[in-house]
Amino acid sequence: MSKQIKLWQGNEACAEGAMYAGCDFFGGYPITPSTEVAEILASLLPKAGGKFIQMEDEIAGIGTILGAAAAGAKSMTSTSGPGFSLMMELLGYGCMAEIPCVIVNVQRAGPSTGLPTKGAQADVMQTRWGTHGDHPTIALCPSSIEESFKLTVKAFNLAEKFRMPVILLLDEFIGHMREKMEVPRPGELEIYNHPRPKVDPKEYQHYADGSSVGGPYAAMGSGYRFNITGLTHDKHGFPTARLDEIQWKMDRLRDKIDRHLAELTEVEEEFLDDAEIVIFSYGAAARSSQQAVRQSRAKGIKAGLLRPTTIWPFPDRIVTDVLKKCRTMLVAEISQGQLVYEVERCNKSSTPVVPVLRYDGEMITPAQILKAVEEAQK
Amino acid sequence: MLDVNIYKSEDQSAWCPGCYNFAILKAVRQALASLDIAPHQVMFSSGIGQAPKLPHYLKCNLFNGLHGRTLPVATGIKLANHGLQVIAEGGDGDGYAEGGNHFVHAMRRNPGITYLVHDNQIYGLTKGQTSPTSEKGLVTGTTPFGNYNAPEHPLALAIAAECSFAARGFAGDSDHLAELIAQAIKHPGFALVDILQPCVTFNKLNTFQWYKDRVYQLEPEYDPADRQKAFARALEWGERIPLGIIYKKDRLPLENLLPQLKPGPLIKQSIGMEKRKELAGQFR
Ligand SMILES: Cc1ncc(C[n+]2csc(CCOP(=O)(O)OP(=O)(O)O)c2C)c(N)n1
Ligand SMILES: [Mg+2]
Repeated sequence: MSKQIKLWQGNEACAEGAMYAGCDFFGGYPITPSTEVAEILASLLPKAGGKFIQMEDEIAGIGTILGAAAAGAKSMTSTSGPGFSLMMELLGYGCMAEIPCVIVNVQRAGPSTGLPTKGAQADVMQTRWGTHGDHPTIALCPSSIEESFKLTVKAFNLAEKFRMPVILLLDEFIGHMREKMEVPRPGELEIYNHPRPKVDPKEYQHYADGSSVGGPYAAMGSGYRFNITGLTHDKHGFPTARLDEIQWKMDRLRDKIDRHLAELTEVEEEFLDDAEIVIFSYGAAARSSQQAVRQSRAKGIKAGLLRPTTIWPFPDRIVTDVLKKCRTMLVAEISQGQLVYEVERCNKSSTPVVPVLRYDGEMITPAQILKAVEEAQK
Repeated sequence: MLDVNIYKSEDQSAWCPGCYNFAILKAVRQALASLDIAPHQVMFSSGIGQAPKLPHYLKCNLFNGLHGRTLPVATGIKLANHGLQVIAEGGDGDGYAEGGNHFVHAMRRNPGITYLVHDNQIYGLTKGQTSPTSEKGLVTGTTPFGNYNAPEHPLALAIAAECSFAARGFAGDSDHLAELIAQAIKHPGFALVDILQPCVTFNKLNTFQWYKDRVYQLEPEYDPADRQKAFARALEWGERIPLGIIYKKDRLPLENLLPQLKPGPLIKQSIGMEKRKELAGQFR
């Protein structure tokens, strides 16, 4: 088969990635700058036998995909800031009830209605802590059109395996940028589908030990009887007030992430081996950071790039190690500075951490970052 | 009658050339002028969309809130200062989808709010997706194979939800619309005006001509107090679409039911430290 080269937008690549991953249900509400994801899936999904539904608001959007996912459909929604805020309550429900689904947030500049057609990276802490209560979070951040496709596929895989909502944290810059990409051939990327239970329905526990990551779980209505609730529950999904069961459930949710950090953590590195000045950057900002690193190198400055593609869980150990080895770490973000605090938290070597920020709705430029590198070099 | 020019604002319009929002704007100015309501006496609460931009182009007080949240904000304004004329404004998506829940409950409570819905049967601001009032079969960005869903009948819903004034206007007849809006403002409780608005850019089905061929004025002898008949007219949609006050019922507005608002608007009263001290610890 010949190569398929496409000039896609980030949002388009995300929708195409969802099709590749086997998404068969989309529910959502239009909002700039995410609407293309919905409109493309509105056209593609029905042709593949899937279902697209525009709901009356974003609460209904996430509600309908949680229902579809619980019933066994690979499900997804997409939105931007205001809609993402509305989804917070049911996002927590998805974590608690352990329902796999993908939520795409194409970040725009906020707060509130903000700048609907302009980009930002200021929802990253909301992504981690927006819904109430202790809960696990997995979030992926593409920096290119190709990554938008691949990380969407990965988001579905992780949702299936870890039984939870996975957030694809795009931003307007990548969402609306056009770039050439080679479309992966069928079979080229792994597609993970969670195992279905084989036990006698009488023996089935929906939240059995060992089923939280990679284990079997049933779709509702497939012959296995269980309960789904946002209340703290036992292995059958029935509400509990027993302290040992509460502890068990809360540890189970935490351990999904904490016991699988090595598998979940994913970072890209450039010139880190001998880097004195390291730029920590992700998503759209990482594109400018990458350019700034290359320009620095051309000027003889030993700069390097640390770019997580999985932003939650945060790559604590790697950041701590890199901080120990470098002289200064710059944190380049399109916000008033959010991940800079996470980097500081990981700083066990009193290495200077310098924020490089832009938050006027425009893309952070290589020139701004290069200037910061040169200052740090002095 | 005030001069309509006193409501002119300096803001540059962001609507498409030929948009029927301009006709609605003209009707709103005309209605306010005819009732001698000065710009400082009126407070708008609008949502997000093309429609809610209207008060930007009007000299008035404006709380431009969030998509779908006009009515809770308007209710708060009315209860805090019922001396103000409160007008809520938004589109069909804003009011009937994202704000659908608030819509139903605001009508039930019946605060003295005028609610103007620019019903173009489409999402204009986000460039053309289906709305709760889109016709079956309408092809839009999110219904590329045609809309499968039955459109909502907002006026029938309003009558069912105890709305005390439910009317329909047409942006293609701005003089009649201005009169209708004036009646709605004069109505003491919650007054809904669903305004048929051709969208020249994104709705190629419900055009000016489409509406023009169907709309008719309610007969002079029509009695808007008859709820059963009002339901029938509110559901009449197809060959013929009625314009005018479809349902009207005398119901005390929320602000008149609250004994604590009898002495005057909430913000003009002071509870005072003495009273608060007296009350402390009295709850059992
Ligand atoms: C919570 C939230 N979701 C989505 C949006 C995006 N959005 C803004 S206006 C709108 C719909 C516009 O349609 P309508 O209310 O009918 O007004 P019109 O533009 O047609 O006048 C949408 C989906 C938003 N601003 N906030
Ligand atoms: Mg509309």
